[in-house]
Amino acid sequence: MPSDLKKKIEKAEKFIGGLKFAVIVITLFSFMMIVGTFLESYYGTDFVNRVLYKSFPFMALQFGMFASIFLAMLLRLPPKKRLYGFYTIHIGLIMVGCGSFITWFSGIDGHLSLDPNSPNRKVILSDDVLRIIYHDEGKTVTRKLPFAAFRTTLDDKYENIQLGDFIPFADKILTWRKGSNPYPLNSSIHSSTYIISNPNVSQEMTLSLHPEAVEFEASLTMGLLNVTYLPKGLANCFTTKGKSGYIIWDSKKNDCYTPEQRKIKIRKTSENNKFLVLRENGKVYSFFPDFNPWPVDENLKVIKNSHLKIFNKKLFEDKPNLFAFGRKVAFFDDEKWHVAEFKKDSDTIDLPWMGFELVLKKHADREFPSFAPKEIMPIQKNGSLIKGLTKALEIDVLGNKYWVLNDRPITLRINSKKVSFVLDKEILTLPFEFILTKFKMDKSPGTNNPASYESFVKLFTSDGPTDHHVYMNNPLKHAGFTFYQASYSQDPQTGRYSSTLSVNVDQGRPLKYLGSIFLVLGAIAHYLLNKKKVKKSETTDFFKLEK
Amino acid sequence: MKQIAILLFSILLSFSTLAANTQFCNESLSAIPIRQDGRIKPLLVHASEMMKYLTGKSKVGENSATVSYCLLSINGLGIPTKIKLFAKIEHVDLQKLLEVEKQKKISYDELEDQTAVLRNEWRKAEDFSSYKKSLGSLLGKIKIHKDIKTANNWQVPLVNSKTDVAWLPIGAYLSEEKIKAARAVSETPFLKVLLDSKQQYEKTVGNKFLIELQYVKLKLPVVALCLTFLGLICITLFRKFHFALAFAILTVIVQTAILTFRVYISGRAPITNMYETVLFSGYGSLVLALIIGHFKNEKIYVFVGLAYNVCTLMMLNFAGGMLSSSISPLVPVLRDNFWLSTHVTTIILSYGALALSWVLANTVLIKKKFSHMSKKDEHYYSELIYTCLKAGTVMLATGIILGGVWADYSWGRFWGWDPKETWSLIVLCLYIAILHGKSTNWIPNNRFFILVAGAFMSVMMAWFGVNYILASGLHSYGFSEGGAIFLGSFFLGQLVVLALTYSSFKVEEAKPNA
Repeated sequence: MPSDLKKKIEKAEKFIGGLKFAVIVITLFSFMMIVGTFLESYYGTDFVNRVLYKSFPFMALQFGMFASIFLAMLLRLPPKKRLYGFYTIHIGLIMVGCGSFITWFSGIDGHLSLDPNSPNRKVILSDDVLRIIYHDEGKTVTRKLPFAAFRTTLDDKYENIQLGDFIPFADKILTWRKGSNPYPLNSSIHSSTYIISNPNVSQEMTLSLHPEAVEFEASLTMGLLNVTYLPKGLANCFTTKGKSGYIIWDSKKNDCYTPEQRKIKIRKTSENNKFLVLRENGKVYSFFPDFNPWPVDENLKVIKNSHLKIFNKKLFEDKPNLFAFGRKVAFFDDEKWHVAEFKKDSDTIDLPWMGFELVLKKHADREFPSFAPKEIMPIQKNGSLIKGLTKALEIDVLGNKYWVLNDRPITLRINSKKVSFVLDKEILTLPFEFILTKFKMDKSPGTNNPASYESFVKLFTSDGPTDHHVYMNNPLKHAGFTFYQASYSQDPQTGRYSSTLSVNVDQGRPLKYLGSIFLVLGAIAHYLLNKKKVKKSETTDFFKLEK
Repeated sequence: MKQIAILLFSILLSFSTLAANTQFCNESLSAIPIRQDGRIKPLLVHASEMMKYLTGKSKVGENSATVSYCLLSINGLGIPTKIKLFAKIEHVDLQKLLEVEKQKKISYDELEDQTAVLRNEWRKAEDFSSYKKSLGSLLGKIKIHKDIKTANNWQVPLVNSKTDVAWLPIGAYLSEEKIKAARAVSETPFLKVLLDSKQQYEKTVGNKFLIELQYVKLKLPVVALCLTFLGLICITLFRKFHFALAFAILTVIVQTAILTFRVYISGRAPITNMYETVLFSGYGSLVLALIIGHFKNEKIYVFVGLAYNVCTLMMLNFAGGMLSSSISPLVPVLRDNFWLSTHVTTIILSYGALALSWVLANTVLIKKKFSHMSKKDEHYYSELIYTCLKAGTVMLATGIILGGVWADYSWGRFWGWDPKETWSLIVLCLYIAILHGKSTNWIPNNRFFILVAGAFMSVMMAWFGVNYILASGLHSYGFSEGGAIFLGSFFLGQLVVLALTYSSFKVEEAKPNA
């Protein structure tokens, strides 16, 4: 090795192993951690992990500390007795560093959700992935997404699918789009956004009949009020008087009528239930409108996709029910049905319940509402994210661009094959299976606060099933995996508990533990081996205490 | 219930209004057991907590907490009482809403009438705003007040066997037969029925809960504060070290008693909330100061230990809004006495040791600013501080590692960049940087004092700041409301001291070899 280069290496070694470098690196490390804790407080744990703790610069800084620790020890060799503690501390730190590297490189950290009596072996990991599911071929392709904090453009292509921008933290913005499929001109595919408000509460509601508006329903409930969105052609029939109170809707013809208008006879069964029969092109549709809006066939089987449907207005007269038809709405008040119309966009319709009024914010006959992602900085409050919960990935399929959201997979026909795109987390399939046989939760007496929660699980391996009890501070270890009681959830309807176990594989654990022991013992030894005796002077005593 | 109300009302009419208080509610009720917040405690403790929560004070006028709680509760039994509780309204917008800008308080009876308005206002308020928090807190208080006033908060034991105790609201517990039977043998049947329930509970289940009554009545934190204060006066004003030492030892004994009481009552290590960590830190630092002082044969450590202990005891006695002395059940993950006693104790002791270095560094800085200190003395004191730092950092490193092992044991990961963990590491890194600089003489003594005094702000940030300012992370069991003003004041005060004293060091540096 040339002496010049050797000198430079020695100089670099001295600098990196020197005190100044150590103090600079420690200070920089501390500063970045301080920034990290404040970032976490505002933007959340996931964001700070992506932007700082698991970023390359922070890892490089930790490597700098590691190099400083290692070289500081190397420069102080051969061993001296007074530095025995110093060596032990530094060896301990190197071991902790190596252990942490092994954990980062090959460790597994995920969680396993266990529903009662449902087997599961899928561990959900933290990495984001796109799953492309080819239904016809029964094939699934997984593409890993970057651990980025901000919008990142991907350079990844699979067959005729190009992956575009990935947004890890986004908000969903309501947009109005044109449908990608052709629809007949008279089809009822309209959508509307209304604002319903009174002095105390205000809520925006978007309702749609468009087949592509998969994120929006045609009905919703607001406390006691039910809102139902119906084809606009049905509005006028709500004021048509008829003794029966029935309205027949023909979605093929976009037409409505009452039995009285067409002189359709309403009969009664032997049990006094009303029914009526419609004949169309030789087919018989029998209705029991007091029980079901859909017709039944000859075998009394409900025809759910029938173009004929009967509304029994009388069923909706007791409770607050609002029917919206785009620019018209109908409601029952003062013993009769009222139909009101928004003639201008700024029009307000007074509703007969709790001082509510209704405003039509947007109406579209052919366009449909859809959520598009908008990149934002996430916001965390009380330990959980309140903004930026959506992850989004743009995909380009045969020249058409689509957004796949983590809570909205999309399904397309590509070359006449059904393909679904799901934005999800990476999954690890365990070589064994769990069943939650029992979940026990004890509460602090007289309160609803959990005092302990425990999972009783059955583990199925090739050696047969075994029973285990996992609870806080009592994990289950099996085949190199450790399962910890992490959290639980309760089904609001059935009241049954599900358990979540965190799953961990950490090959670096022994090194970290051993290094920690070295570190503490080394620190104690260092201070004991380097005790100094400093003498007092006569002026040292602050308080001039009595002897 | 209606018949009981008539019966009790007829008893009430047979006394004057003044006597009604003693007829139904007096101090003898303090010792009866009540089950609230997941544990059994004497009524006095629960009543004090409730009155403090509702009004900010444990007494209501001339009435003690027990009597006030009782008088409020018997309204729910159909006996009208004149007791009226007032809520403090601190948020300006809330004061405007309730039209109490001048008096800044309002009675709960009036608040109950405005519940619908407050609830609507809460619904409309911006999420996570201080106004919404204040409204939420006030609605919670109104609910508790209503709960007490309808006699649903007071739960009385109906003892069937040692393991079978049903806790009934007082209204459901008092039956017509019980009152009639008690009336036959006592002039105060209401009190008799309740005291009989206590007797029955003690006889069948035990009287362990009464220890807490003794603990509260002894007012040991006040005693400890007085003793520490006297010790500090002896050493600073009268220069009597042995008296100061005696007071320091007495303080340690009293604080040991406080901790023992709390361990006995709660059945776990006394370090699970801010109140207990502050208490343990002051106690630990004083014990450490006495031990180090003894082995180093240095009296100043006793002063430092007492000075820091006074600070912590002042907080315990006078900052009730920030540090609640209530003993509450723990979240499941903390229910492991081994890890709780090792990890948290070591961390808090390390804070105590670092606090000793902080007090000593500030004392030297102030002494140097307003008086003279030779280079030799500076060096001597820097070594005393260095001793505290060594103890503090070794304990802090041990505590962090123990925390990592506990986290690994409970959650499956040694390190997770949780804010509390991260700030502990920040503190360790800063002190290690100072120690490196000091051990290699890179940091001269004058800068060393300033750095040590300033570095304690990182301890305060890790200890209080994560809970009061950052308020996030897995260590959520230690989280509490408020406290940011306290922390801000501390930082400001320390920065002022540093700014004032830094100049004196600069002057000295300008005159080398002077």
